[in-house]
Amino acid sequence: MADNMQKCNISENNFEQCTKCSICTTVCPVAAVTTDYPGPKQAGPDGERYRLKDPAYYDKMLKLCLNCKRCEVACPSGVHIADIIQHARMTAGEGKRASLRDTMLANTDLLGTVANLVAPVANATLGLKPTKMVMHSVMAIDKHRTFPAYSRTKFETWYKRHAAQDQEAYPHHVSYFHGCYVNYNFPKLGQDLVKLMNAMGYGVHLLGKEQCCGVALIANGLYKQAKRQARVNAASIRQAVNMDHRTVLTTSSSCTFNLRDEYPSMLGVDTGDVRNDIMLATRFIYRLVDEEKVKLVFKQDYKRRIAYHTACHMQRMGWQLYSIEMLRMIPGLELVVLDQECCGISGTYGFKKENYERSQAIGSTLFKSIEQAQVDAVATDCETCKWQIEMSTSRPVENPISILADALDVEATRRANGL
Amino acid sequence: MVTNEVYKNEYDVIIIGGGATGAGTARDCALRGLKVLLVERNDYSTGATGRNHGLMHSGARYAVTDGESASECISENMILRRIARHCVEETDGLFITLPEDDLGYQRTFVDACQRAGIRADVIDPDEARLIEPAVNPDLIGAVRIPDASIDPFRLTVANLLDARLHGAETLNYHEVEGMIVNQNRVEGVKLLNKRNGEHVEVRGRVVVNACGIWGQRIAAMAGVNISMFPARGALLIFGHRVNNMVINRCRKPANADILVPDDTVCVIGTTSDRIPIETVDDMRVTREEVDVLLKEGVKIAPSLATTRIIRAYAGVRPLVASDDDPSGRSISRGIVCLDHAQRDGLEGFITITGGKMMTYRLMGEIATNAVCAKLGNTAPCVTATQPLPGSEEGAPDQRDMTKRYSFGQRAAIGRHGSLAARIEKDNDIDNALVCECEGVTVGEIKYAVHQLHVHNLVNLRRRTRVGMGTCQGKLCSCRAASLMGEFSHDVKGAQEDLAAFLDERWKGMRPVAWGDTLREAQLTAAIYEGLCGLDMAVDRTGKEDVQ
Amino acid sequence: MRMDTVIMGGGLSGLVCGIALAKRGQRVAIVASGQSTLLFNGGSMELLGQIDGKTVTAPLDAIATLPEGHPYRKIGADRIATLADQAQSLLADAGIRVEGTPAANHWRITPMGVAKPAWLTLKSHVRIDDLDKLPCKRLALMCVRGFFDEPNGMLANGLRELGFEVETIEFTTDDITALRRSPSEMRASSLAKHLVSNTSLQRVANQINALAVNADMVLMPSVLSDEDSIDTLQSMVNKPLRLVATLPPSVSGNRMQALLRHYFQMLGGTYLMGDSAVSATLDGDRLTSVTTAKLGDMPLKADQFVLATGSFISRGLIADYERVYEPIMDLDVDADADREQWTRFGILEPQAYTRYGVKTDSELRCMKQGKTIQNLRAIGSVLSGHDAIKMCDGTGVSLLTALAVAQSILATK
Repeated sequence: MADNMQKCNISENNFEQCTKCSICTTVCPVAAVTTDYPGPKQAGPDGERYRLKDPAYYDKMLKLCLNCKRCEVACPSGVHIADIIQHARMTAGEGKRASLRDTMLANTDLLGTVANLVAPVANATLGLKPTKMVMHSVMAIDKHRTFPAYSRTKFETWYKRHAAQDQEAYPHHVSYFHGCYVNYNFPKLGQDLVKLMNAMGYGVHLLGKEQCCGVALIANGLYKQAKRQARVNAASIRQAVNMDHRTVLTTSSSCTFNLRDEYPSMLGVDTGDVRNDIMLATRFIYRLVDEEKVKLVFKQDYKRRIAYHTACHMQRMGWQLYSIEMLRMIPGLELVVLDQECCGISGTYGFKKENYERSQAIGSTLFKSIEQAQVDAVATDCETCKWQIEMSTSRPVENPISILADALDVEATRRANGL
Repeated sequence: MVTNEVYKNEYDVIIIGGGATGAGTARDCALRGLKVLLVERNDYSTGATGRNHGLMHSGARYAVTDGESASECISENMILRRIARHCVEETDGLFITLPEDDLGYQRTFVDACQRAGIRADVIDPDEARLIEPAVNPDLIGAVRIPDASIDPFRLTVANLLDARLHGAETLNYHEVEGMIVNQNRVEGVKLLNKRNGEHVEVRGRVVVNACGIWGQRIAAMAGVNISMFPARGALLIFGHRVNNMVINRCRKPANADILVPDDTVCVIGTTSDRIPIETVDDMRVTREEVDVLLKEGVKIAPSLATTRIIRAYAGVRPLVASDDDPSGRSISRGIVCLDHAQRDGLEGFITITGGKMMTYRLMGEIATNAVCAKLGNTAPCVTATQPLPGSEEGAPDQRDMTKRYSFGQRAAIGRHGSLAARIEKDNDIDNALVCECEGVTVGEIKYAVHQLHVHNLVNLRRRTRVGMGTCQGKLCSCRAASLMGEFSHDVKGAQEDLAAFLDERWKGMRPVAWGDTLREAQLTAAIYEGLCGLDMAVDRTGKEDVQ
Repeated sequence: MRMDTVIMGGGLSGLVCGIALAKRGQRVAIVASGQSTLLFNGGSMELLGQIDGKTVTAPLDAIATLPEGHPYRKIGADRIATLADQAQSLLADAGIRVEGTPAANHWRITPMGVAKPAWLTLKSHVRIDDLDKLPCKRLALMCVRGFFDEPNGMLANGLRELGFEVETIEFTTDDITALRRSPSEMRASSLAKHLVSNTSLQRVANQINALAVNADMVLMPSVLSDEDSIDTLQSMVNKPLRLVATLPPSVSGNRMQALLRHYFQMLGGTYLMGDSAVSATLDGDRLTSVTTAKLGDMPLKADQFVLATGSFISRGLIADYERVYEPIMDLDVDADADREQWTRFGILEPQAYTRYGVKTDSELRCMKQGKTIQNLRAIGSVLSGHDAIKMCDGTGVSLLTALAVAQSILATK
């Protein structure tokens, strides 16, 4: 008998463990708000058996899947339900061209580059009513949406001007995959990371070449482009890990998940050899503190009440505990951990006109609990959750790294780490 | 239909056996204008018809050993592609040579195929790996032949439907208890209505014995001896398709050498064992059979080793001893049509047996010819050209992406062809899915219950695929049982039927109850026994297996 | 990451054990690979319902007669009553409102109208204390139009056999009709999401009030997501209203799971949802850490470990072509070696596999190659020697072994 004879039931399509228990359907945020979507069980393992028989069984409504992965987290059988759905979309979408709107939304870096150059104009225009109406009707980007403001200076530019020259002086080193959001919209998060890492004695370096991780490209069906960019990023990460012996840090949960898990499973770009070297900064720092390799000293007078929201991809990675534990280390911080609910934005999904109402309905439970929590701010590791929560509640949203940097007594920390 | 009137009628021909052969004979007789009654002791297609690979042979398998069968197969194969489109999936097939096989056999095989009129193209192993990625990559030779897959349940039902459309009566759950014989002439049959226990006699001018392996018993009731040699074959169903083409081993036929993609699953088989005639009703699959099927199956497609098996089943082929060899050692593998008037001096009685599911139509034609000869009917046979109901021109195409068919509607078109138009779909409830694995809607169940002679959930499964998916009826069987109870106004009966159905599903799961199939079974027990208390509501001790 | 106790498995037993420990100030992490079998629960807990096909009326008395290997016997029959009371108050603390006593079983009503013995049942759910004294005569069974996960016919039939007069009343509302537009998603859990707002509940109440005029009590499927909705609907309906379990996924089970998890996290517990233990490190006769799929190279270290990974369904046990084993550490199991022995031919016969589980000593400590692991204890369905199906003892074993083990762990400190 073959060695693997009936030892496990894992087909290439990875849906065999499904016992049709239907638990996934109880957590799907999309099926909860629309009857057009057949739900994860039907769209995933059930539909897959038919699609194997004949691809014509593809259901167009699969495009409504947010790829939030909540079904996978809930599945007691370990079925990669959302992966099955994404693969089906990918197969059905092969050879089709994405719409201008989807291309524009997906190319977060391209849009960012242009917007940075004309940031004041772009911010004004993207926020203006007539522009919004044009976007709503022509581009099908929902009029209720405000694009996140673009920064006047890219993070990369700031880094080169103000940080790069100091980094080599530190005793330890890490690389940083900053992502589009930090680069174009919110360089402060990157600056906060540099501040934090430097205080612990770590120099922060950019990758040789960084392109958008492609999470939005995958969501919008631009797989070829996503694959190209993935190869560039994988090469840069390998360079940092293998040549420079640096861990690659990230501050976005979606970028991290994409680099580690979606590259191989969705795009066929294998990052297995460096997977363990790509990690969220909170996990990296937690480990250093846990192993007593660094010490963090926080400000005496820091006092804030913060609610932590677990982003869907964060939950899928299972790393929320590092961010939560890091926040709990801040003495003056009172932490409320919110029950895990999807905010509804799911990257570019909620920006699309046809998805707006669904998106808001999905997030409504979370918005309610945020308002009830009576907090100063919400902490989350995902930038699109930040946009959605800020657009839909009265609370500001910050990345845990920014909160840590804000609460940190930099000088005391430097001293504690022998700098 | 008032059954009493059915019993009172006198028929030109009574056909015993509701498998493909009986159904095909009934259709042919009805199309030629005869007054037909078909009786079946269980449900339609419960015998060998529903217990094989679902393979529409090209005939290649028989080419080397039995040229006549091979020619019959390829001819019927081409006919079925025309008349039974909705039951057939044109997959094509491969005959592969593995390193352990003799590549020299390939030449013999191809030559034999050509002699039988079967197109057989030798292709490069690389091309075989490309067109069928599931195939064992170590193969050293491949031949492409026009095999296909066919759904025997649908095929049988389509034949019965057409027979009824042309005036035939068909009764399932009517068992023949005896033959009415009068002075060397069979004049009818004695029947037990198994659903209400009623005993009746029905008269016919000719009786056709189309009972497969059970034909020996029927013949004995008429005082005629036929020696049958039951050849048992076991098969395994995997949870989804790993292959999209039929894959055969290119060697002398042996155990587990064919893997067939059937609808949403794939099937490996068969074993082959001679069994005593007394044991033909025991369809339990043994551990040894499972082991052989797996061991050989992974040689065809290595991924079977890691693919979930959802059930095991077995069937019995009716092989018949040649009349010219009283020792019974010489066995005819072809179609056997016995006119007992000539053979045994018994008038009005014909046995049609041997053959294959594949050649059911031809068997029907041969039997009908014999019936017509007796009755002086000269109408020509049209079954080779007239499409079966569901396969007429203009049937909706589930591949038609321009129309927005729901999943359930597409699945139904795949199953019923043009007849899917009869399924109600005008409201949300009719469109609601009952079985989500197989896409069966409330509307389809209504259609099956009202138009396809469905009396219980096992019948329903054969007509619609309810409960045939990987979970083997986890939630759908309860939903379907509720609907059946509603339609029949017999809720208690529906509940008992539900338990019987789950039992029937379990019998196929048990021989392969490990891994996810065991998990599935435990979950089913947790739901139906733990949560629902079905075991406390019904008593199944001593109950007969439902067929 | 260092914990006091790491629990593998986040279902009923894992959560209850975690809560009991976290309440006493322990740092506890639970590794939960997906949702648990509580989602197949009908709103009741069972202590012991049947022995050899005979119904148990007084579980406390019957427990003394159980065979040695049963988890209850390992806990000690004399501790059962105390632990049962603790379990009930722990559930109450988590916000799960149940009623019942370990001294005498009451009857829960299953979706098929069968009266099954139970220990605790949700207050909102229908139950009968004495089959000879039904709580009322006339029942109105509200059937949601197009909802197929409640076998209403069988339910009504079963209730009639128990002696009730039952009127089945089909109804729908705008919300329900809208949901039924989906061919696949009208499940109890989806209904629950649509019947939350006061407007939606009022629509249901209006139907009940208009249609169920002759009844003493109104029954409807358990499709209300939380206690608030249940209270709200009850306040709108002018008759006593009780819920009946549906086919899964169970709304009440989901709610119990969510409440327990919420409570555990409120107590400071770490719940790793969607992660699973893949291996563990042994140092002599002690476990030192557990590696999970997602935390990767940062294993969870702890003083004490609990195995609460469930039976085959939950993949706490694996059966393959050749053997039954425990997948994380390959612990010793009580199971037949021969595949033929795992199952029986009839589906309703007692199946041997349902009694399989990890081997434990008298203190529920696990063993590997015959040696006891000092700081690893097993609780719930992963334990051998009981039968959730044929003895109706699954949830009881989960609750009581969880509490017993929590006590043992606290005692070692």
